[in-house]
Amino acid sequence: MPLPEIHLVGGTSTEAARLAPVATAMREQARVEPILLAAGPEPLTFAQTLGLFDLTAGLAVPAGADNAETICRLDQLWSTRTPAAVVVQGDAGASLPAAVAAYWRRIPVIHLDAGRRSGDLGATGLTEPNRRLLTQVSTLHLAAAPLAAMNLLDERVPGGDVLLTGNTGLDAALAIRDRLPPYADPALATLRHAGSTAPHRLLVVGLEHTDGVLLQLVRATVRRLTARYPDLDVVMLGTEPSGRSRRVVGAGPLAYADRARLLAEAYLVLTDDGDLQEEALTFGVPALIRHEMSDRMEPLYAGCARVVGPEPETMLNAVAELLDSRVRRDSMTATGNPYGDGRAAKRAAQATAALLGHGPFPEPMPARPTAGVSR
Amino acid sequence: MDVAAFWTRSWTNDDRPAVRKLLAPDVEVEWNLDAAVDDEELVRILRKIAVFADSVSVVARTEAEDGAALVYELAAPFGTARMIEFLAVADGRITEVRQVYDVTATDRFFPGLYER
Repeated sequence: MPLPEIHLVGGTSTEAARLAPVATAMREQARVEPILLAAGPEPLTFAQTLGLFDLTAGLAVPAGADNAETICRLDQLWSTRTPAAVVVQGDAGASLPAAVAAYWRRIPVIHLDAGRRSGDLGATGLTEPNRRLLTQVSTLHLAAAPLAAMNLLDERVPGGDVLLTGNTGLDAALAIRDRLPPYADPALATLRHAGSTAPHRLLVVGLEHTDGVLLQLVRATVRRLTARYPDLDVVMLGTEPSGRSRRVVGAGPLAYADRARLLAEAYLVLTDDGDLQEEALTFGVPALIRHEMSDRMEPLYAGCARVVGPEPETMLNAVAELLDSRVRRDSMTATGNPYGDGRAAKRAAQATAALLGHGPFPEPMPARPTAGVSR
Repeated sequence: MDVAAFWTRSWTNDDRPAVRKLLAPDVEVEWNLDAAVDDEELVRILRKIAVFADSVSVVARTEAEDGAALVYELAAPFGTARMIEFLAVADGRITEVRQVYDVTATDRFFPGLYER
């Protein structure tokens, strides 16, 4: 008897990396048949990232010009090839249209990384409304952290429909960290090769949401840091550095493998990007962040991230403090990753099968005490 | 006749006779609000939304052979809530209405919506 077919829908490199461990776990558990479905804006990078995990997309639906068109295309696919359940990840790209299309056809929706919220009900933009709607059309909500699970309960999602699994991004990092290919980006290859005999420490700066004035201050701070620390390489993501130091390079959007290698080699991350902060943590790298990210408070509570002010001296001192003391740096991540224990994908796969009546639901990820949350 | 468009125009303009006429006698209704629902209750709640909201607009629409999915933006005086509506249509009448509200925003910006 054929196994029930599960469609894992994604469209970006990040989604591919977070879905891949779930597909692998489903294959290992052999209770359902996972089919990865490329339905987002970056089918090529989606496929490339899956390739790192020895997986391929079994189905592809071109992303529509808008969500309505993507829903239409997925509906057409599922009218003839109806999966037993659909898995979506996060709240960007194809997640909402896929969940809506599945709900329309009464196909159960399993939502990975569910419950992330900024807490601002009146927030402008569509991120928060779309997150809440995605929750409402989902059947099973797999939360990466206790705060996310609590957000769902606050929105009256039945407790029995919520499972704390952890984030599969950590599982992905653990799966590939020892077999990452060499850098494809020539600038990164040159920078890191130059320091290969006595590897330089690496500071990754990702300030994609920071305005020009502050960016100038950051660039100036980076120049002072490289002058003070001769063993420091700096990669500035999404922006060009200033000056002519060969130890500072800029990088545009990176393939998942390059980004993963970069973070695996990083000593420290300075960022205003929640995704980068979270990805850094999957490789055990602490982050200095420009401001609180209200949908990602867990690293702050766990001590893995620290807010650093915009003044050049403050930034310089915060980075220098961690460069000067490996112990201080390591202590930030000593309590582990608040987003998981490396078993999220196994729980997600088991929960999906259980939802379809194949075996029991897994135990939730053991939740550690979280600062700021009373028990 | 574009039944879905006529339906939207009817309920957002509080045209209850037209709304009732569009619903098949055995229409099935579901929603995710914390209240029981049938066709009478659906008509009552849609009327309350139409009256209370500053505006109701369709921000996305997907067609299928036997119906449509519509995403509404329900703008109230102090904020906006979204709702997705799935319609099944047969012989020019609506045979199924499934509504998914952003319940958190709906409860906040449309207080007492489904209280009797």
